[in-house]
Amino acid sequence: MKKITLLIFAGVFALTACKKDEEPEFDREAMLTNMASGVIIPAYQAENGAVILLHTKAIDFTTNPTTTTLADLRAQYISTNLLYQRCSMYNFGPAMDYGIKAALNTFPTDTTKIESNISLGSYTLGTATNATAIGFPALDYLLYFGTDAEIILKFTTDTEATKRKIYLTDLTSKMKTEFQPVLNQWTGSYQTTFIAANGNDVASSCSYLLNEFVKDCELLKNARIGIPSGQQTGGATLPEYVEAYFSGLSKSFALEQLIGLKMAFTGGPGIGFDDYIRDVESDDVTTSLADNIISQFDICTQKITVLNNPLSNDIAVNYAAVNSAYLEIKKLVVYCKTDMTSMLGILITYQDNDGD
Amino acid sequence: MTAISKIKSSLFDWHREIPSTTLAFYRIGFGALMLFSTIRFLANGWVHDFYVAPKFHFSYFGFDWIPYPNATVLYFIFAMMVLSTIGILLGFFYRISAVAFFVLFTYVELLDKTTYLNHYYFVSLIALLMIFLPANRFFSLDTYFGFTPHQKTVPKWTVGILKFQIAIVYIFAGIAKLESDWLLNAQPLKYWLHTAHHFPFFGELLKEDWVAYFFSWFGCLYDLLIVFFLLTLKTRNFAYVVVIIFHLITWILFPIGVFPWLMIFATTIFLSENFHRKIIDFLRRLFKKENLFNDNSISFEKPNRKKLIHFLLGTFILFQIVFPFRYLLYTGKLFWTEQGYRFSWRVMLMEKTGYTEFYIRDSETKSEHIINNSEHLTRLQEKMMSTQPDMILQYAAFLQKEYADTTIYFGTNEFNFKNPEVHAEIYVTLNGRPSQLYVDKSHNLAAIKNDLSNRYWLEDFKE
Repeated sequence: MKKITLLIFAGVFALTACKKDEEPEFDREAMLTNMASGVIIPAYQAENGAVILLHTKAIDFTTNPTTTTLADLRAQYISTNLLYQRCSMYNFGPAMDYGIKAALNTFPTDTTKIESNISLGSYTLGTATNATAIGFPALDYLLYFGTDAEIILKFTTDTEATKRKIYLTDLTSKMKTEFQPVLNQWTGSYQTTFIAANGNDVASSCSYLLNEFVKDCELLKNARIGIPSGQQTGGATLPEYVEAYFSGLSKSFALEQLIGLKMAFTGGPGIGFDDYIRDVESDDVTTSLADNIISQFDICTQKITVLNNPLSNDIAVNYAAVNSAYLEIKKLVVYCKTDMTSMLGILITYQDNDGD
Repeated sequence: MTAISKIKSSLFDWHREIPSTTLAFYRIGFGALMLFSTIRFLANGWVHDFYVAPKFHFSYFGFDWIPYPNATVLYFIFAMMVLSTIGILLGFFYRISAVAFFVLFTYVELLDKTTYLNHYYFVSLIALLMIFLPANRFFSLDTYFGFTPHQKTVPKWTVGILKFQIAIVYIFAGIAKLESDWLLNAQPLKYWLHTAHHFPFFGELLKEDWVAYFFSWFGCLYDLLIVFFLLTLKTRNFAYVVVIIFHLITWILFPIGVFPWLMIFATTIFLSENFHRKIIDFLRRLFKKENLFNDNSISFEKPNRKKLIHFLLGTFILFQIVFPFRYLLYTGKLFWTEQGYRFSWRVMLMEKTGYTEFYIRDSETKSEHIINNSEHLTRLQEKMMSTQPDMILQYAAFLQKEYADTTIYFGTNEFNFKNPEVHAEIYVTLNGRPSQLYVDKSHNLAAIKNDLSNRYWLEDFKE
């Protein structure tokens, strides 16, 4: 009896030992470690640096509103917004605690609200009603609502110029002071917490990552492309609903978000969901779901690349292309919400389950 | 005695008197476990999450008339449920407690099918049976206070029917596993076992395909055969050890809550009367009640009741055997259409995940609006609805009502929905197959009756 037990253990050990040589070891903890140190923290660090500089440039501009300082500020706005597109899909933990996603990028922005805030000169930017009057979309309006001359006029000779200046720097200051602690938490204790939650339950880091990844994919589909192109309104287009309507850079931002989403999926060069999928799949599978999703990402990239800035205009003149981008993004969402979610067995709710 | 006459006598001597310790033991165990699971349900905040938080409730077919309680009433019901489990446990006002527990538990289950679980159905059935069983005639407060005559023996059928119910659960669960996904593809276990890969050493093992096949085949054989091993005197103890190991493994690997403990307890009914007596003796010593035994035993059964008992038992048994087979009345793949899926002991058979886009469409202007499901459903409800046809229709009917005569604003744009149609585009993946179209957008789901007929409006399943 003892011999048999020994033999079984030896056999099992041999089998697992072989396995180790054949393919790289995957486990969720390794994936989370890579996601934290290789993807999320670098993205946050880049964004944090950009947000700090954005505030500086805003001060430069308000101290001396000229076409040069405006151009400088705009350039910094664009790069900060682009970098943010690679952070938006990690809306959990510290980002959730500080409500970063809603504060930075709720669009379409409410220009009436912004103007009335400026006129009043008194406001609490953190309230729920002001979510549509802050962040990148509000900056987009303030920095691009008209010609250079019109904008500079608003910040110089206009009766409310001082109030407008204060509003602008209040916005960038809010962004700066809110983003820093999110990064601090990630580089501090949260990283350990994140990696330690390596299960598949609803409060696990994998569950957070997957959920927010899928939500952000849906955001791309619905908010960035679907709603403006009339997918939710029976074909009646709503061009002013695009992201970054005033700067007209919606396509660039959408493309960048897609790159960010792909990184969230692949983990950059390190271990990501794609490796997780390959690990779960049988060895005899002909086309990996991971490859299907990656090629769907590439198709979406192509489809968005052929669109033109401003997207609000493209919706009217290039509708077929916009629609086809929408449909491809939808396929991506279906892959992620069904095939991928099903395969990884990550729980989205806390409940007993006998699998029926 | 020949083998046949042995079987005959063991099957048909329903009224032979056997010691009442077994039923008393079972009453205490069931009461304790239900007390624990009710408190656990409360402590997890599930009363709120599953019954208070949802705005819309997926009622069961034929039960949409039952009134939905508000939060206060719900918590009162759970408080009463706790009391009734204590009543069962102590054998104190036993009959009233058993009725109360069955009614309250079943009522709560009937409120929303989102939380349907086979083991809740099992609890309801055991609770129903317990009402009719003289489980308080021995070692109970009812006999202690003299509410009920003390009784040393009970007729054999009272234990037999419990054994039958457990046999039904296992054997039907086993039959349901005689199916290609389970046996030939080892799905969904292949995926599910992977989720436990963070366990040291065994985690790596659980990733292996052969392990998934081993678990699938072993699980199927276990379900089909365990009852027979439990019934055979020679193998009984060994079989019970297997029961414990099997359910402990499932408890470690899968988030199935109290189900393993329920089955580990439930199967003790097959153990020897001697074992039940030892437990009772232990409890008796614990409470220093040595003298509960006395010999003024009376017979529980009045002879003129036998016919009624036969009739009721026969009806119950027949229902239990026939009802799980009702899926045979339908065409199409059972896992896809889910006609006759519930209440049939199909456990752990499907990994089914869906993605839904619901639209309301004005029937005149044809203008459309995508519904944000999270505005109307909890995450659990949305997840369950996405793959279950009857819930899809219920949700569609709800949306039609919800959006009738409404106007949706996008900035200054107005969209009127006078008499909306409800359409949906749904994709579903089943047991590892690539996702495929489940519901095509062409159907006005609000116009489809949610009944027991074949679901022609689902897309055909592609293997």
